[in-house]
Amino acid sequence: MDFTLSDDHETLRDSAHVFLDKEVDLSPLLKPGAMVADADYDGLWKKIVDLGWPGMVVPEAYGGLGLDYVDLIMIVGEMGRTLAPAPLFGTLAGVWTILAAGSEAQKTDLLGAVVGGNLTLALAIADADGSYEAPGCGVTAEAVEGGYRLTGSKSFVVDAASADKIIVAAVVGGERRYFVIDRGAPGLEVELLAWRDITRQVGAVRLDKVPAELLSGDDADVWPFVRDRLYLVLAAESAAGARAALDQAVEYAKQRIAFGRPIGAFQAIKHQLAEIAGQGECADVAVQYAAWALSEGDPRASLAVAMAQGYNSEAYCDATHRNIQVFGAIGFTWEMKNHLYYKRARCNAELLGAPATQREQVIQIVEREAA
Amino acid sequence: MDFNFPAEDDPRRLEVRRWFEENPSPTYKQIAERGFSAANWPAPWGVAADAETMLIIEEEFARAGVRQPSAFNPIAVNQCGQSLLTWGTEAQRRELLPPALACEHKWCMLFSEPSGGSDVGGLRTQARRVGDHYVINGQKIWNSSADEADIGVLIARTDSSVPKHQGLSQFIIDMKSPGITVRGIEDMTGEEHEYCEVFFEDVCVPADRLLGKEGDGWRITMEQLQTERQSMTKPGAVWGAGPTARELVHGLTRTGKIKEPLVRDEAARLYIEGELLRLLSLRNLSNKINGKPAGIEGNIGKMMASPHGQRMTSLAKRTQGVAGMVKSNDVLPLPDKEYGRFTNWDYAYWFSPATTLGVGTQEILKNTVAERVLGLPRDSDPSARGPFNQAGAPRAAA
Repeated sequence: MDFTLSDDHETLRDSAHVFLDKEVDLSPLLKPGAMVADADYDGLWKKIVDLGWPGMVVPEAYGGLGLDYVDLIMIVGEMGRTLAPAPLFGTLAGVWTILAAGSEAQKTDLLGAVVGGNLTLALAIADADGSYEAPGCGVTAEAVEGGYRLTGSKSFVVDAASADKIIVAAVVGGERRYFVIDRGAPGLEVELLAWRDITRQVGAVRLDKVPAELLSGDDADVWPFVRDRLYLVLAAESAAGARAALDQAVEYAKQRIAFGRPIGAFQAIKHQLAEIAGQGECADVAVQYAAWALSEGDPRASLAVAMAQGYNSEAYCDATHRNIQVFGAIGFTWEMKNHLYYKRARCNAELLGAPATQREQVIQIVEREAA
Repeated sequence: MDFNFPAEDDPRRLEVRRWFEENPSPTYKQIAERGFSAANWPAPWGVAADAETMLIIEEEFARAGVRQPSAFNPIAVNQCGQSLLTWGTEAQRRELLPPALACEHKWCMLFSEPSGGSDVGGLRTQARRVGDHYVINGQKIWNSSADEADIGVLIARTDSSVPKHQGLSQFIIDMKSPGITVRGIEDMTGEEHEYCEVFFEDVCVPADRLLGKEGDGWRITMEQLQTERQSMTKPGAVWGAGPTARELVHGLTRTGKIKEPLVRDEAARLYIEGELLRLLSLRNLSNKINGKPAGIEGNIGKMMASPHGQRMTSLAKRTQGVAGMVKSNDVLPLPDKEYGRFTNWDYAYWFSPATTLGVGTQEILKNTVAERVLGLPRDSDPSARGPFNQAGAPRAAA
């Protein structure tokens, strides 16, 4: 029994911390009209590739680092803390889908390319209304000589525009299966959405008879497997982002003088920040427990990640809202980065379904346990 | 990192379990002699159990259906007794600890006063040194179980000529001493009273019952409050004890009320919070095992746990509708378990306003978290500067 981070975990987190503090520059985003590409989205990715992060969750059998999920949240947390604009989310989503749905040959081929830094991915699964429910209705697959052709549309695809390949969930024979398409394939259009969180790149895809390869492995429960891991990613981002929002607000409250005193001396400010600190502690243990449970294949892992995502995304929203309140009106301007955190928090709380959805999952699991 | 609990066949667990098998209905004296009353204390009092072994012992007490000494006699076993290990004399330990750990002497805390609960440092009860004893005059309030206590842990002012926090001292006193009057307080629950007020009129306390030195009182008291708050970082509805959100969801499921959408969402929210509080308390424990500095995280824990408990009792009460406004214990079924004093949601609900008042109000806890964890500027306290009997003296009521 040991609920504390090991020295190795802390070392990993600290090295990611130093790297991202040096490399992430959000200042180009602090002008209205800026887009994620302005913040060196592609350049940062190249440096991340040099560190081997694209392959961190790829098992060693496919050439990856085979890190466990506690290691993963050390890095993803730092990405979240700094709002690092880079296509890591899309690539992680793609890797997990290939792991769950790909054949041996596909895993070797595709995951090997990810590890080598030659392949970025995105996962197109949500329908235009944001639903992740199977089978979905956005895209249908039609079997043709030598493969499939996909037709339809998907939305809310993180890192779609920059991905070399997109994994698309499509309906064939009444079931949801997973297909790989090339970004440059004929009939594929990617439209960048005016996503409020400009530290992420999110797009919609339209497909018209796009040639596709079926991920041929057993595809039962692919989405629950991938979703649980993406919950962990968002929960880790949220925990670390909430901490960043708190730290920045605390720092500001110590410096900003009003009525002859630092505003942090006033209980109206103190009490708000204390509450955020409390929620931050809970968010931390939530994500650590979830990461451990996934790593161990613990039977409560799905419960743990749903709890973490549901709790942490709301805690992050609270923290970033309080952060703007403490900064006062200056925190409401585009030239400050407070809004970047506020928007990331809000978008994280919707991207994979709202916190109420995760709470429903939690209560269903608890009901099943009780039955 | 490993969130698994110590295994069923862990040798430390087997040793404790064997003892309970050999002693199926142990007396508290036997428990104390075995070193399980305050197992984390060094010999001869405890068995120097580390935090993980403490968890095992706690689980095995529950398994054996034996109420823990720390639940029966918390002030002695948890909050205050261990102060004697660091601040007490050998004679004090030999005299006071054996009956305390055997639960033959029940202890109470004598901290709050009518003139100030949150501002403990401004307390007015006087301890005046006269020869080989001190004479105590004043009044304390909100003292749990003072009416059944044999021993009281008293903080009183021994020097009014210094700033308010510096002139305080702690005494371990006999509650049967002449001059002490204890009265129960009828609290708003209308149940058998939990709290008392205690009056001191020329009460003589032998000088060898001073804990530490004169002036150490504030530090010792703060240590005890931190220990108490840490023990409240738990998912139980009242003071971290009593039923948790697991039992709440159990009751809602059994009655079918979990199907109501608004109840369902709130129940899920509370369930998650409860699990996170459980994890938080275990992480604090782990930090102790790993020798990471422990200290004021108990403030965060209690700050989170008390409102969580209030929301739980509130949801339980809400499910009854208007019928819940009639005094009755019949709220939601609870699985058969040891809940201490709070064996039903109705009592827990009407009691729950107390939990953001006692052991540091919610506001004091937030101040402490903001100042000591986040490093924000300290609140100004004009009464803390000069000698207590001048600038710091509270004005007498008109």
